[in-house]
Amino acid sequence: MELAKFAQLREILPEDRFMLCYSGYVSESVLEAVGGTLKERLNLHITEKKKIKVVFSIFVELMQNLIRYGASGPKGEHIPNEERAGFGMLMIIEDDDGSISLLSGNYVSSEEKLAMESRLERLLGRSHEELRDLMKEQMRKPPEIMSKGASLGLIEIARRSTRPIEAAFVPTANAQHFFSIKAYV
Amino acid sequence: MSQSFYLAATSRTPEVAFDIDAKTAIIEGECYPEDADKFFAALNKAVEDYFSTGCNELQLTVNLIYFNSSSARALMELMDSLEGLASTKSISLNWLYDEGDDITEEFIEDVTSSYKNMKISSSSNPG
Repeated sequence: MELAKFAQLREILPEDRFMLCYSGYVSESVLEAVGGTLKERLNLHITEKKKIKVVFSIFVELMQNLIRYGASGPKGEHIPNEERAGFGMLMIIEDDDGSISLLSGNYVSSEEKLAMESRLERLLGRSHEELRDLMKEQMRKPPEIMSKGASLGLIEIARRSTRPIEAAFVPTANAQHFFSIKAYV
Repeated sequence: MSQSFYLAATSRTPEVAFDIDAKTAIIEGECYPEDADKFFAALNKAVEDYFSTGCNELQLTVNLIYFNSSSARALMELMDSLEGLASTKSISLNWLYDEGDDITEEFIEDVTSSYKNMKISSSSNPG
């Protein structure tokens, strides 16, 4: 990457507001390190205890999604599985209205895309009560086969988000898709 | 004070203390362990060991200010097993949540609403 291109990032990522940005391989140790920094910064920046907790809890679920589903890098390279580290991007940024957007993205296979779409279908556009019922139902079910985690993470993100969550898939090379998700607090 | 089981809090796991003389146990702090199943397996074992001493009474206080979704399922399973044990033992559960944390308040309701054996109380920590 050229220095000029790198410097352009500064324009996209404004420095004058609350922000945290991570791109690279994610693992539980990255979650812990980035999470520690995030918590410190939230405590300095936000006075409302509840808001800090909601931001932090969505952060943890997004990071664990990246760790569990992001099995391959941008070129489809195989990542050694021992640490379950996958490639992922995460951004937490304060918007002009003071709300905080949390975005995460990673590469998924076509198979993972289908599984993710069916999970998303069940929760996009649902009311608070519907999401609560879905959580209750899923908690008493064994974790889904394609979902390596507890399969409750996405529901938790949708419940905690103060606006409806958004998700998108963009096709990339090697029959992969860039999956991104956005929540608000 | 004799603690039959003790885990100090870490940045990602709560403090856990079972006291066989006082017949109390407390789980307090934040809970988003790297491996939720493994962490809760240790708690299930602590419950098992506690009652294997012949003690038939337990007052459990749960004060988890934050837990992630993987812990939520494991926590529910731990509570389910205590509810099962409470058919023959005297077990009470005092489950606290932060004021204004409606998701946790709803979670407590959803987990405990069908319980018949345990004595359950729930209230909010002042904000």
